[in-house]
Amino acid sequence: MTAAVSSSPGAKRDATAAAGSASPASRWPGQARVVACVTVHVDGPAVEAGKGLAPLGSNSRGRYAMRRGVARYLDMLARHGVKATFFCCGHDVEHYGQLYRDIDAAGHEIAAHGYQHEGWDLGDAEPALLEKTHRLIIEAVGKAPVGWCSPSGRKSRHTLPTLARLGYRYDASEKDLDEPYFPEGEGENPSFVILPNNTVSLDDYPFYATGQALACEVLANFIAEFEAIRAAEGYLHLTVHPMAGGGSGTPARAAAVERFLAHLEGCPDVAFLTLAELAGHCLAHPQAFGGGPA
Amino acid sequence: MRKTVILTVNVHGLGPEAAEAPEAGLFGRFAHGRYTYRIGLWRLLDSLAAQRVKATFFWPVFEAERCRALLERCLADGHEVAAHGNAFEDHAGLGDGEAALLETAHARLAALSGIEPKGFRSPTGTLSPATISILDRLGYAYDSSFLDDDAPYSLAGDGGPRMVELPFAEGLADATHFRRRLTQARAEAFLVEELDALIDADSYACVTLHPRADLGVGRAARLLMLERLIARIRDRHGAALRLCREVAEECRQGGSVIWDGRPRS
Repeated sequence: MTAAVSSSPGAKRDATAAAGSASPASRWPGQARVVACVTVHVDGPAVEAGKGLAPLGSNSRGRYAMRRGVARYLDMLARHGVKATFFCCGHDVEHYGQLYRDIDAAGHEIAAHGYQHEGWDLGDAEPALLEKTHRLIIEAVGKAPVGWCSPSGRKSRHTLPTLARLGYRYDASEKDLDEPYFPEGEGENPSFVILPNNTVSLDDYPFYATGQALACEVLANFIAEFEAIRAAEGYLHLTVHPMAGGGSGTPARAAAVERFLAHLEGCPDVAFLTLAELAGHCLAHPQAFGGGPA
Repeated sequence: MRKTVILTVNVHGLGPEAAEAPEAGLFGRFAHGRYTYRIGLWRLLDSLAAQRVKATFFWPVFEAERCRALLERCLADGHEVAAHGNAFEDHAGLGDGEAALLETAHARLAALSGIEPKGFRSPTGTLSPATISILDRLGYAYDSSFLDDDAPYSLAGDGGPRMVELPFAEGLADATHFRRRLTQARAEAFLVEELDALIDADSYACVTLHPRADLGVGRAARLLMLERLIARIRDRHGAALRLCREVAEECRQGGSVIWDGRPRS
């Protein structure tokens, strides 16, 4: 995969340019100029559990998502009529089943995000853990997830084959392009698509946890990024965390996210899609995303 | 004194990560570098062309091998191609193998680009006590790896009697700020603060950019920031944007390096 991409960047870029500049609106559902995907990385006590910590006292930032953050986002999304993708850790689903049934009942997508937000190399244990979270989500909400995003952005050679075997349709872990693309070898009738996430400019956590930003600065960054995306590929992939600490679960930061949603809503050329809906669109129109018949 | 700004680009793709782990295993957070090949460097070249700016691109052999089309585009657009090591080696730890590595990398980059590089910047920042003398022997006119001055100076004291140092400023490098995950507006404020003060101090500034999306300016939104920075260099400061090799050549007079009318050793 690496060699093929690296040896022909010009070809890739030409395809990108053609799709990006000719008539970008025609690539997205409803002739939208921008497709906006709101992803909520729930990251509850699973994160602390993965570090061997009891979710107590100062290690209860993830539990904030369970007690306040998720409900706050469900209310906010309902106010704006936006359907989002919730990336969920198996461990949280196992312990807070009702919360995930609430998310599902509100019409949002439940997607997989590791068992205990494993941000380390899992080795040969990875397929079994992917299956475990998959099963826990089915047991809790009665539906099989079709999307996965790596907790912390790690993947291995086991990941995509396992996801494909379990019937997944997309991965949202790559950061190497500003639009959807198909993995090498997907052929004329692709069944799996890469929906890159944007941990650089549209993810709350790094700005707060490392960059020490104010909520108003993060909002300004989101809007600047949106305007640039609107003039380019038109693919906006937002990531927010309803936890306390580095996330946007708490009131001041949740308010910044809500102002961003309101900004997007005020733009008639923006269409909100869940990632599952976007994956379905890309797989139904592969030629618009560099795939399909040659 | 004519105000001079050199715009330098460190062409980093997957190279930094590939120096630490097998390339076939680089996915997700370890594959930000692939953005350089797929879109970031193309975008940066488009932006510089639109602004009619010529820059100096430091190319590691590792990256030049992976994106020949981009190297060709870089040359065709009139940018300078300079050396940036082989594959992100730590030059302080190469020992006796350093001369052979630099010779091989020099020959390979010259073969790929069709031009002998005249300048060098350490790929990981480090140099050994032997690096400058090896570069001098290979015919290099300048190095741009040091952080220890605000203006060009002679490398005679560091083993390079024929070489000029074109120091760079960490505060005027995109990666310094984006590595700390600052918002774009904050990063821009840091860059502007550094730029203004450096030009006022010694009429020299070295801007350092990367085409990656995470640490660099390859993103569409960040290229708008670069446009504003270039406009500031030209309009507010009235400074000339020059290639490194031109600046190095002009400040060498006789056996000395002259900057702002003064010899600088």
